[in-house]
Amino acid sequence: MIREKETTLYLGPQHPGITGNMMVKLKVQGDTVVSASTHVGYLHRAFEKLIERRNWIQAFTLLCRFCVPEPDPMELTYARAVEELDNREVPERAKYIRVIVMELARMQSFLLWYAGQSGSSGLYLTPQWSVGDRNYILDLFEDLTGGRIYHMYIWPGGVRRDIPEGWADKVLRTMDYIEKRLDEYNKILFDNTIFQKRAQGVGIVPKDKAIEWGVVGPVLRGTGIKSDVRIDEPYEVYDKIDFDVPTQEGGDIWARALVRKEEVRQSIRIIRQAITDMPEGAYYNKVSNPMKWTVPAGQAWAKTESVRGEIGFHVTSDGGNKPYRVHVKGAAYTHGVTVLEKILPGQNIADVSFILNSLGVCPPEIER
Amino acid sequence: MTNLIKENKLLDAVTTAFKIKGKVIRGRRVEVFADKNTVSSILLFAKKQLGYIHLAHMTCVDWIEQREFEMIYTIYSPVEKITLFVKTRIDRENPVMENIDTIWDQANTYEREMREMFGIEFPGLIGEHDFLLEDWDQIPPMRKEFDTHKYAAQTFFSRPGREDAKDVRDEISKRSGTAVPDFAKKYSRES
Repeated sequence: MIREKETTLYLGPQHPGITGNMMVKLKVQGDTVVSASTHVGYLHRAFEKLIERRNWIQAFTLLCRFCVPEPDPMELTYARAVEELDNREVPERAKYIRVIVMELARMQSFLLWYAGQSGSSGLYLTPQWSVGDRNYILDLFEDLTGGRIYHMYIWPGGVRRDIPEGWADKVLRTMDYIEKRLDEYNKILFDNTIFQKRAQGVGIVPKDKAIEWGVVGPVLRGTGIKSDVRIDEPYEVYDKIDFDVPTQEGGDIWARALVRKEEVRQSIRIIRQAITDMPEGAYYNKVSNPMKWTVPAGQAWAKTESVRGEIGFHVTSDGGNKPYRVHVKGAAYTHGVTVLEKILPGQNIADVSFILNSLGVCPPEIER
Repeated sequence: MTNLIKENKLLDAVTTAFKIKGKVIRGRRVEVFADKNTVSSILLFAKKQLGYIHLAHMTCVDWIEQREFEMIYTIYSPVEKITLFVKTRIDRENPVMENIDTIWDQANTYEREMREMFGIEFPGLIGEHDFLLEDWDQIPPMRKEFDTHKYAAQTFFSRPGREDAKDVRDEISKRSGTAVPDFAKKYSRES
């Protein structure tokens, strides 16, 4: 066998196949990756430092921008950590609204993943469809919160405003539409032999190493391990709602895709139940003056299941009107560095961006 | 309390094995306070003996007035569904902490971040120094004494015509001749 020369290849920070502003430094022999290392720092915005200069409520303007496809889980996780420190009760209605918002967020993020995953395999029809359909969900967010991408809607103590009249019906109509579209998505992506061949057996995360490497969310469930924060440590009203946590064996891109495909159906199921069961009543346990609000000293750890897995916030208060320290851990923090560097060797160059999309690597979450 | 049986059992197991203090914070949350030299032993014990196999999080808090860094290791058991916090304090002037990336590979990322952001040394830590910051010659930026305002003022220049960077409310009031309303004063930068 002729040993080919080793070449260094930089994937990113500007590259159509990368999932954001980061760089993967690849050492390749021919088409095969020999080693990979993640380089971040192109996007460092010092959010955690800036939060220390803002009061508890102002922090929300930064929080939702940690990761563009997933602003809502960030808001909810931080709000829950602050509620724990402040012993603040959340009204029952707000909990249901939060669940609906979280599942809509999961769905819009799924549709964005769908676009990225199929686009990186060279199928360009699906991104057009799914980004178009995502707009229907963003419309719902606009009606509810005033914002399409960033909402700043979930606050400590509940949600900022009640659902507008007729909104619940609009959500149900949108769910019916999305459900129908999912069948069509199956035909163009999941039943597509090209996609199947590209995804099967590629980017395998070994089951025995998954937890040790810090794998979470659909990537972990794709290895056959049933783990979901919504079930393991139920928050809001997830314990009152009936839904399944899909798993697949194999740990490859195909398994992760199947898990996500089923998850979005479960989201529809959760939203329908939440709308039916949602009680009347208060939606916000009001903070008297948010600008002068102080939170008792202490530390809290809250975690939430986002579309890419567990998101955790470690919040420290010194009793003042600003957070003393906020540290965020998203799924990409481990997926984009440790896991990626371990699974890329031996893969084809063409599969690198395919794997990046499949792991849900969101660079701003790594450096914050 | 009867509903905290698993939590108390975990607390007993760790505090007895290492003769340290700790407490059950609430259901599913237990914390222990250790000496910095025993942290890796506790983590290894919890991982191998008690099934706390998931390193959920690692963080550092700068307690500048006490001249200490607080290191917090958050580990989780997928079977017991309990989160255990192992907390320790290290000297702020000479911050050195044990490297645990031999226990969890992913700890490497957290430690490299802390090395750059807080200036904590982890002997034996592999990985480039420029992980998040490039050509950084100031004090580690996540330390409390690092002033982002001052750094920005010294390092970056304003857009032409915006050099004064005045408080918008004050400027509006000056130009319009109307006093800043009381409700707005308390939100202005100077107060």
